[in-house]
Amino acid sequence: MKQERTLSIIKPDAVAKDHIGAILARFEKAGLKVVAATMKHLSLKEAQNFYAIHKERPFYNDLTHFMSSGPVLITVLEGPNAISKNREIMGATDPKKAAPGTIRADFATSIDHNAVHGSDAPETAVTEISFFFKPDQLCARSH
Amino acid sequence: MKSLFKVILTAALCSLSIMYAEEQTLSIIKPDAVANHHIGEIIARFEKNGLKIDGIKMVKLDQGRAEAFYAEHKGKPFFNDLVNFMTSGPIVVLVLEGDQAVAKNRELMGATDPNKAAPGTLRKDFATSMTKNAVHGSDSLASAQREITFFFPEGL
Repeated sequence: MKQERTLSIIKPDAVAKDHIGAILARFEKAGLKVVAATMKHLSLKEAQNFYAIHKERPFYNDLTHFMSSGPVLITVLEGPNAISKNREIMGATDPKKAAPGTIRADFATSIDHNAVHGSDAPETAVTEISFFFKPDQLCARSH
Repeated sequence: MKSLFKVILTAALCSLSIMYAEEQTLSIIKPDAVANHHIGEIIARFEKNGLKIDGIKMVKLDQGRAEAFYAEHKGKPFFNDLVNFMTSGPIVVLVLEGDQAVAKNRELMGATDPNKAAPGTLRKDFATSMTKNAVHGSDSLASAQREITFFFPEGL
C-alpha cells in the first residue's frame, strides 16, 4: 500500500463540543499518524482562500463564514492510502447519509456543521498541506 | 430594594470568583505517547475533565531547545536522559484552560513515577517508566506562563 499524506481539519463545531481528542483517537486507531498539527482561528479571508475552488458554489458563503466562526485543529495525517482511509473514517459529507461508526455519523449535526474536512485527492492534499504548513513543520515519524 | 439586590448579587459574584480561578497551563504529550498513538486519548481526557484547548502544535525539539526548556534541571542526574528522550521524536504541545487548570492537569497526569500514579491517571494508563512518562504539565502558574511563551511566542 502507498504511503500518503492528507490534510485533516477538525471544524469549529467539533472543537467547540470538545471532540478533538475523540476524533484524533479515531485516526490513530485506524493507523493514521499525525505528522503536523496546529490550532488556528481562520480569518474569513483565509477560509475564502482555502475554499477558493468552491467560490461559485451556492454554499461557499455559509461554508467560509462557518469555518472562520471559531478555532479549528489542522493536522497532516500519514499512512497507507491516507487520503481514502481518512475519507472512509470521516463518512459521507451529509451526516444523515454517513455510515454508522464514522466521524460524521457520531459527531456531525448537519451537512454544514459536519465536524471534519479531509483532502479529496493526492493533488488537493499537496495543495492543502502547503496552504497551512511549511515543509520544516512536518515531523518525521519513525513509530 | 433594587440597590439591596445589587449588593447581594455583587457579594455573591465576588465569593464565586474567589473559588473559581480561570488559569492556563502547558501540557506536553511526550515522544513515547506520540509514538504509541495516544495523542487522541490523552486530549480526550483533558476535554472530558473541563479543560478547554486554547492551542495545539506538534514540534520536534532539537537538543538546544530541549535544554533551554528544562534549564532549571541542568546539572541534575537525569538531565541528559531527559533531554535525549525529549528530542527522540515529535511531541504535541498544548495550552489548556479552565478552573485551576495547573492543579487539575497535574491531578489528571498522576505521579511522575507511573508505578506510584493513581488508577485512572494518564501516567498510570500510558506511561512506561519514570523517564518515558507520557506527559509534562506546568508545576505552577509562573512556570505555566514561561512555558506557554516558550512554545507559543507568537501568542495563541
